[in-house]
Amino acid sequence: MKKLGFLLTLVAALGLLIGLPVKAQAQESIKIGVMAPRTGDWASEGQDMIKVVELLAEQLNAAGGINGAKVEVVVEDDQGMPRTASLAAKKLITAGVVAVVGTYGSSITEASQADYDEAKVLQVATGSTSVRLTEKGLKLFFRTCPRDDEQGRVLAENIKKLGFRKVAIVHDNTSYSKGLADETRALFQQDQEMTEVFYDSITPGDQDYSATLTKIKAASPDVIVFTGYYPEAAMILRQKHDMDWNVAMIGGDATNNLDLVVIAGNQAASGYYFVSPPALKEMTTDSAKKFSVDYETKYKSQPSSVWAVLAGDAFSVIVESIKAVGADSEKMAQWLKTDFKNYEGFSGPISFNQIGDRVGEVYRLYTVNSEGQYIIQ
Amino acid sequence: MMEFLEQLTNGLARGGIYALIALGYTMVYGVMKLINFAHGELFALGAYLGYCLLVTTNLAGSLGPYLAIGLTIIMVMGLVSLAGHVLERVAYRPLRHADRLAAVVSALGASIFLQNAIMLVWGARFRAFGSNLFPNFLITIGGLKIPLIRIVVLASALLVMWALRIFIHRSRMGLAIRAAAIDQKAAKLMGVDVRQVITVVFIIGPALGGLAGLLVGLYYGQINFNIGQLYGLKAFTAAIIGGIGNITGAMVGGLLLGLIETLGAGYISVGWKDAFTFVVLILILIVRPTGLLPERVVEKL
Repeated sequence: MKKLGFLLTLVAALGLLIGLPVKAQAQESIKIGVMAPRTGDWASEGQDMIKVVELLAEQLNAAGGINGAKVEVVVEDDQGMPRTASLAAKKLITAGVVAVVGTYGSSITEASQADYDEAKVLQVATGSTSVRLTEKGLKLFFRTCPRDDEQGRVLAENIKKLGFRKVAIVHDNTSYSKGLADETRALFQQDQEMTEVFYDSITPGDQDYSATLTKIKAASPDVIVFTGYYPEAAMILRQKHDMDWNVAMIGGDATNNLDLVVIAGNQAASGYYFVSPPALKEMTTDSAKKFSVDYETKYKSQPSSVWAVLAGDAFSVIVESIKAVGADSEKMAQWLKTDFKNYEGFSGPISFNQIGDRVGEVYRLYTVNSEGQYIIQ
Repeated sequence: MMEFLEQLTNGLARGGIYALIALGYTMVYGVMKLINFAHGELFALGAYLGYCLLVTTNLAGSLGPYLAIGLTIIMVMGLVSLAGHVLERVAYRPLRHADRLAAVVSALGASIFLQNAIMLVWGARFRAFGSNLFPNFLITIGGLKIPLIRIVVLASALLVMWALRIFIHRSRMGLAIRAAAIDQKAAKLMGVDVRQVITVVFIIGPALGGLAGLLVGLYYGQINFNIGQLYGLKAFTAAIIGGIGNITGAMVGGLLLGLIETLGAGYISVGWKDAFTFVVLILILIVRPTGLLPERVVEKL
């Protein structure tokens, strides 16, 4: 009897040893890449992007994966730098991903586009709003964020609606920021009522903008239009407050980050306007509300900006297309352009046009109140 | 005119910070002929330790702003100099007799290590010193409004530089440092404990860098894990403009760089500010290849 028991255990153990790998081989996993700035200047954005996608993949796999196949997320760090992006793209391609989520900055995405296109990997960018990314006519490129010209239009419209006439435009020379500044500028040049009193760029990361502010002050604008990112916007707000200058300021969607108020302080940030797609907590879809809770439970925080959530939408778009036509990037791209309509993403309904741009109104005008909260106007 | 004066104070405050960091580069180079690339990261460490003490432990809330900041300055300088000492023991001392290139590679490695260590400990998000830590009001001098913190930054930078000058020129240790800077071997033969000199240099330099980090945190209110790189590069430029290895040179170079940057941004073009700065650096190096104050070797340090 004892002997039998031992034999049984042995057989069971052997079965486990042999059985496990067999089982894993039977279900080949689908690899989806995430290219995000895990380190470097935009590390906080990139880390949130990765967290969102990993949580979604975890939920998807727990619910059975895509048609029974598990999804494996492969993360590569682009460091927020164009030259690293191309390297990261090559690594992901070698890893055998069918599609890639990312990345955040436009110039970084641009550096990786050709690599993915050659390797026939579907790319869904998340924060890259520069116009020319989709105008190149790459068949496998999509994005879940709106474009700068759309944002420029909304920005210019709101500046006028708020009653500002003399504008000082400041950008930071990145392709996103300069693109948005130029879009807005072009609209003002067509408009007789608007005058541009200042146009120049600052260096991102450079903490001291007091010299720039002193110079802008001499031009006495009604409003400063800053098209760069939140750390610089916060510094400008703070230094503007320090020099006791109460001019209005409005920015683009890259300033939609909860840290803006922390850095600038409530007093300095109060009254700041920006246009942006809504943040996760303000998204009204049921899926977003549920995901916001799940995210909070797992990571004990909220994603600090909307871009990480758009990475989640990009992941869902990829998953839906694989569900529909299988893991073939060309078929997926075709399907997304023709049959994929009004999918309920976190940030609202998602559809794509023929060049891979997202269709539909996404922007809202926000202002910061005296308690440092973001209020939709 | 008012605008010009305002730009001048902008530039001097920024220059004061550059000068403090540049001193660390120049002292280490003077004695060891080694460019301590990890110095920028020690500066960042100072900023983060300041953040830890002032914001996380809320020292300012329990002690009142002036006492808290005074105490934080002392603690940050102490802790960063300790880190500098450890750095010297771990990364440089084992390579004292090795090829100079090996030490430079070790310095770069230490820099990358420290930067990423800071990111892992404090995270990649920007950290903000609250805007209410320091009673910041505008001081009006003849119609010119200057924020108090700007004056504090410049004054403390000047004070520390003055104290350092006294120390180097009047004390026995200062004499030993100057001797080691001229010729390490000869100094050793004359009974100078060069190892101790190097230890002292690696305490003073990082302490100044740490102080600069804390001042940046207080002045700008925002730090992130890679500020060390940016300020390190600028301060290194300042040290070269002034003549690397020369203490007065580092001070002059720092203040000059701050002024060039601000005035360049204010009167020429904001976007071309950095290009402008480096053009000035190149011009200075063409005219005076050893920097603005290329003293004879004997007077170095």
